[in-house]
Amino acid sequence: MVETAATIGAARLGLLFRARWQTSANRLAQAVRESPVRIATAVLLIALIWLGLYYLFRLVFEQLQRTPLEATVAVPLVFNFFFASMLVLLAFSNAIIAHGALFGRSESQYLLTLPVEPLDVVTFKFVECLVLSSWSLVLLGLPMMFAMAVTSEQWICYALFIAFFLAFIPIPGALGLLIAYGVARFFPRRAIRAVTIASIVVLAIVTVTAIRALKLGDSATEVWLRAFLSRMSFVQAALLPNNWVATGIDHAAHAQFDLALLYLGVTAANAFFLSWLAVRVVSGRLDAAYDRATTGRGGVLRGPASASGGFCGWVFCYLPLSVRLVAAKDLRTFLRDPAQWSQLTILFGLLVLYLANMPTLRLEFSASGWFLFIPFLNLCAVSLILATFTCRFVFPLVSLEGQKLWLMGVLPIARERMLWSKFAFSMTVTLTVALGAMTLAAHMLNLSPVWAAIHLLVTVSVCFGLCGFSVGIGARMPMLRETNAARIASGLGGTTNLLASVAMVTVVLTGVGLATWRCRYLPTRELPDLQSLALCVASAATGVGCGIAALWVGARHFNRVEV
Amino acid sequence: MSQASSGAAIALRGVRKSYGKKTAVRGLALEIPRGELFAFLGPNGAGKTTTIKMIVGLLRPDEGQVHVCGHTIGANGLAAKARLAYVPDLPFLYDKLTGREFLYFVAEMFGVPPAERDRRLGGLLRRLDVGDYLDQLTESYSHGMKQKVVLAAALLHQPEVLVIDEPMVGLDPRTVRSVKELFREHTQHGGAVFMSTHTLEIAEALADRIGIIHKGELIAVGTLDELRARALRQQSLEDIFLQLTEEADG
Repeated sequence: MVETAATIGAARLGLLFRARWQTSANRLAQAVRESPVRIATAVLLIALIWLGLYYLFRLVFEQLQRTPLEATVAVPLVFNFFFASMLVLLAFSNAIIAHGALFGRSESQYLLTLPVEPLDVVTFKFVECLVLSSWSLVLLGLPMMFAMAVTSEQWICYALFIAFFLAFIPIPGALGLLIAYGVARFFPRRAIRAVTIASIVVLAIVTVTAIRALKLGDSATEVWLRAFLSRMSFVQAALLPNNWVATGIDHAAHAQFDLALLYLGVTAANAFFLSWLAVRVVSGRLDAAYDRATTGRGGVLRGPASASGGFCGWVFCYLPLSVRLVAAKDLRTFLRDPAQWSQLTILFGLLVLYLANMPTLRLEFSASGWFLFIPFLNLCAVSLILATFTCRFVFPLVSLEGQKLWLMGVLPIARERMLWSKFAFSMTVTLTVALGAMTLAAHMLNLSPVWAAIHLLVTVSVCFGLCGFSVGIGARMPMLRETNAARIASGLGGTTNLLASVAMVTVVLTGVGLATWRCRYLPTRELPDLQSLALCVASAATGVGCGIAALWVGARHFNRVEV
Repeated sequence: MSQASSGAAIALRGVRKSYGKKTAVRGLALEIPRGELFAFLGPNGAGKTTTIKMIVGLLRPDEGQVHVCGHTIGANGLAAKARLAYVPDLPFLYDKLTGREFLYFVAEMFGVPPAERDRRLGGLLRRLDVGDYLDQLTESYSHGMKQKVVLAAALLHQPEVLVIDEPMVGLDPRTVRSVKELFREHTQHGGAVFMSTHTLEIAEALADRIGIIHKGELIAVGTLDELRARALRQQSLEDIFLQLTEEADG
């Protein structure tokens, strides 16, 4: 058989996919061989989350089906909002992954030196990005759609809903690919920062729009509901893909399969066309974009990034010089790495927006039982966000020094001092944001000074415990040869740290929760009884004690470790 | 394809490349004929890696043209890439593939039939002393082990042009000897080697011609004897290199 350019191209594209399949299979086999417990735990937890979401959505849909009139309005709205959110989130998620895959990794450089058509490289990377970025939709979307299929009692709905799901995914994927290409071509300097800032701006606009939609007067009236639906009607615009999917699902649920198939066809055709267009556009100018992305990045730091050097030294002025230098270096790295500060900004930004808009909820906080419950939930939210941050970003800090430990080893600085510097850095960052959020929460809820002080004290204790765990366990179970922070955080040490952190936060918050429960009928401004106070102080002491113990164990091990 | 460049393995004509306001390479004109081992020398930041990346098609020249085996990089890049192999200073391997899986991947990518692949691999692996670890995941390899596998992958499809950035870093003396022999055999069979290095002894011992780039400009090119003549009869390549780059600094 005579080989044509097309058959050779197809064979090379197939080879790229087979190589990726082989690496994935090897990765899985290695994980199962080396850490079967971790894999089993992860699968179990994912299954639990999946089942939990499924039953939650099923309850919601069953409740809605009991009142057909409300179901007619609410169900398409639920799907419309869900897929609209997914459209935005997945587009940015795809953009970040596609930029790294096409213009950032050494693999892309390697592929571009091989005799592979740019079209094949982009197609391969596009499919890879779709798979990598769409897991959130699988985790959240499938349980929701299965719950809907069960309540609609039509077996064909399962197949149709999965088809809608698959037809929808390439649309945000193609948009993300085009965004990544645009950033590489036109904003090559600090590209990820550009995408991250754009994501934060979009998220802020969405949040402000949602808040404005909620601020429409008395939330208990029909007028409010009408005004709310009217303001949010742009999400249901006929040209938006989320509307095609939501309408199609709604038709399928009502056994109008011809209409459902029509909307499925519209979604699939648009997804195919948009994917084809994006892949063609990007592959047509891939060499130019790669050239711009690799020759335009880096350079001399100017503006805020440059000024952060002096700022970081000033922040840690209370520390001894040797500890201060390492802590300032970590803070500088944090401020210059959008992956780190953006997550903290997004999580706490959303929390601050929620806190700043608490009056919109029009809850009567002075009513018995509630005036302490909402602040306690705020404390829980802040603690869990802190745990997420410390496990993902503070825990890998010690391991990441592994490559440079020879440098630290020859510097005139005791090893354990390096741990104190990591601790100082993480406490500074977490305390700044957590105390800011909790002070705002106390102010917005007009919390009594005693309870405000208790919550601030517990926040400090949670910060201390979480930072102590992340630094201490990070030093006790380091991965000194690993350079990827995400892999360090998801390793055995990282998983241990996550479980220990969640356990510690649960214990501390249980104590405060019990005290809150005991005081639920007290008048707003009255002091809590001594036993409740003691519970809170003991909880705070637990957090601090855990942190100290973890740091001690970590320092002891780290002083002996051989690099 | 221009007539003038059709005979050369690599031809760069009036090539210029800038990173923003900084010009990394300017007015670079160079021809490497088939059968030649060319050593490309220069201080750090002189433009060596930028030149190499333009030859292998990773970067596009702002001005001028690059040809590999008569094919213009950019316009007919795929045909050029099929004829060359590139070994960067930081070798790339898929972490979660074994060395053998990676070599098979490269062989299939370049269309080497399995029987021929196994025959060539047998010789290459023996000469590069790649043995027991070939069936382990490459993430566990040392720098030297990775370099050996990448060199084997580069030579596996018998490229007409071999472009290498710092080929000997991390290799043990026995393997360095083997690599020298492989390069020499490659040129004897009509292939060309374009090698960037800071190891002047290797350039001195192996290269047919040597080019010295400084601040983006090719300040000297020729055989070792020609460079000696130009550098007032300095004997060692190290002395020649230092004298020519200092002269260029003015």
